[in-house]
Amino acid sequence: MDLAEAFRNYKAKIVDRWVDYTLSTYQSSSFFKKEGDVFANPVGGTIREALKKLFVLLSRGATTEEMIAPLEQIMKIRSIQEFSPSQAVAPLNAVKHITREILAADKERCHLVADLYDFEFAVDLAVLAAFDIYMQCRERLYQTRIREIKTGSHILTDSACPSASLKNKIVQESIPKVESI
Amino acid sequence: MAVPKLEQLSKSVVQGPSLATGAIPTKDWMDIPVHFHEGNYAYPAKKEKVEYLNSQKGLFFPNAREWSPEDDDWKLPENWKEIILNGLKERLDKFRSLKIFMDCCVRCGACADKCHFFLGTGDPKNMPVLRAELLRSVYRNDFTLAGKILGRMAGAREMTVGVLKEWFMYSYQCTECRRCSVFCPYGIDTAEVTMMLRELLHLVGVGINWILEPASNSNRTGNHMGLQPHTFKDNVDFLTDDIENLTGIRITPTFNRKGAEVLFITPSADVFAEPGLYTAMGYLLLFEAIGLDYTWSTYASEGGNFGLFTNNETMKKLNAKMYAEAKRLGVKWILGGECGHMWRVLHQYMDTMNGPADFLEIPKSPITGTVFDNAASTKMVHISEFTADLIKNGKLKLDKSRNSHVKATFHDSCNTSRAMGLLDEPRYILDHVVDWVEMPENTIREQTFCCGSGTGLNTDEIMELRMRSGLPRANAVKYVHEKHDVNMLSCVCAIDRATLTSLMNYWNPDVRVCGVTELVGNALVLEGETRGELDDGLRTML
Ligand code: SF4
Ligand code: SF4
Repeated sequence: MDLAEAFRNYKAKIVDRWVDYTLSTYQSSSFFKKEGDVFANPVGGTIREALKKLFVLLSRGATTEEMIAPLEQIMKIRSIQEFSPSQAVAPLNAVKHITREILAADKERCHLVADLYDFEFAVDLAVLAAFDIYMQCRERLYQTRIREIKTGSHILTDSACPSASLKNKIVQESIPKVESI
Repeated sequence: MAVPKLEQLSKSVVQGPSLATGAIPTKDWMDIPVHFHEGNYAYPAKKEKVEYLNSQKGLFFPNAREWSPEDDDWKLPENWKEIILNGLKERLDKFRSLKIFMDCCVRCGACADKCHFFLGTGDPKNMPVLRAELLRSVYRNDFTLAGKILGRMAGAREMTVGVLKEWFMYSYQCTECRRCSVFCPYGIDTAEVTMMLRELLHLVGVGINWILEPASNSNRTGNHMGLQPHTFKDNVDFLTDDIENLTGIRITPTFNRKGAEVLFITPSADVFAEPGLYTAMGYLLLFEAIGLDYTWSTYASEGGNFGLFTNNETMKKLNAKMYAEAKRLGVKWILGGECGHMWRVLHQYMDTMNGPADFLEIPKSPITGTVFDNAASTKMVHISEFTADLIKNGKLKLDKSRNSHVKATFHDSCNTSRAMGLLDEPRYILDHVVDWVEMPENTIREQTFCCGSGTGLNTDEIMELRMRSGLPRANAVKYVHEKHDVNMLSCVCAIDRATLTSLMNYWNPDVRVCGVTELVGNALVLEGETRGELDDGLRTML
């Protein structure tokens, strides 16, 4: 049996434990783990969906570009929650350990652990990309804040002369649109 | 092997030094103290704003001072505990609902996972049941026999500074949206528990600036921004210039005109801030199209009522202003614009506080003759009810193709949907003016998710928190954006127009935000217009 087949066989188990591990970083996580409806449970649902996609990509050694979309789904959420940067990213790394543990526990497949180098390298790439995305998300958060201040919602309380700011509409319009990442 | 094992990794992640909420709780919730840091609290009210409010007749905002939630010492009055407990007693006697809410929760947990703050943070104290428990634990301790005897075993705890700080943290992580109450079998309204927490905190001088400054401005000049009458008028005039450039129609609205049939009141943000401006242009066009005999007021120049987020006295006072102005001008009834909490106050509290408004007439549309019996007591009609009635009676000429650049969805604002039941009128209007789709069922109508920044939490220093609490809403928008190419999130609330704009900038940057009446304005065909191709409707830059 080769590694690809082992990945296929254990995909559900690995992803489940990975999701469980990731969601355990939330204080009260049982609902996040349990509820399957992504609209009722956006954090749990999105993370489950994204990790599932990501695992398939990692197991076939996909390029970083291919991993951006699912990584973005996860990092966009974790970068605005109360995590330090390392806390936000670290659960991605866990899939290495989970995969090793699961393969090692299977007598017939434990020899495959020695072949995990490419997989783990892909995880490393994903983690590095996740740091970049984390920073982009923080950047976007600050841009959003600046934009709100500049486009006039702030005059709800703090402006001396709102009509002047209206006449500066052109200036406001020229604030660069926050790029989609 | 150099690679740390999963367990070690998990330790360093979960128990790292910069840990905030990333921990699996090992302690009872009562034992986890709150921790304030830049970004997780809204700035305290400025001293002079509190002083001003406190100097006003009928209002009580004591203990004005400079202070910071990050300091250990909040400079509370010496007898703060007595003040809080007396305040609680007074409110338990005065508001029967509070007493019931304190007594009847069976902790079934049906509300627990329904709050957008919980869904975005995973923080158990953001479960509505625990939010209420923050107050209930003190209630039990001092006002119930079981609590007095059994103490903590009965879920009771003493009022301490730590508890007070917890109240501040979590009563300002609740937007009083009432989503939880929809799911509670006993109808417990946690929003009203939050209101009580905030009222009690104000008794010892704990409040936030983003609420008290607009409230004091409203009290002083009539609107949140503290604008003087001439500025308000100038800005509406400025919008009429824009309309003329775009459509060739010159509109000359009147202000403070005695004897007008209708007084029109809308949130001042519609007149001053994007994207509300375009909604205001929509109002102006609509009223011009039907020749409505109406006036704006530069005194009742604010629909919003930030009093709702402070205490019942302030809410009552700010609400009364609208009626005082209606009386002064001698209008027959009031037409209200796209606002959230104006309608909440009107629908839920106004009649008890200031009503009934007997000096006004039961609203009757001068165009269609429809009598709005639903507003028989408050005498105030929602712009969406009014517009839907116009459309139903064929009084508007609408060209849907003028909105062909828009694929919309509709966000039910918490206040209009859950607090007044306005669900179908905006949808009926949208059907006639634009191509639009619904978001998933469990995120709309009575189950709508809050924008995440209501009740005065729309301040920029807590942007991260707002992005978390707005996630459930943004997530549903993302779905219709990806599935149906939705590019416009429409709503009937001024706070939404501001807050959803930021929410979209972060989560779904290709989706813009607008008021329903903006889309009406886009589609309206007016007599005598010389309108070119406006490929972005009223937003087109000429
Ligand atoms: S009212 Fe809204 S914000 Fe407050 S606890 Fe209930 S669901 Fe949460
Ligand atoms: S749903 Fe109602 S009764 Fe049940 S825990 Fe929540 S507040 Fe209490």
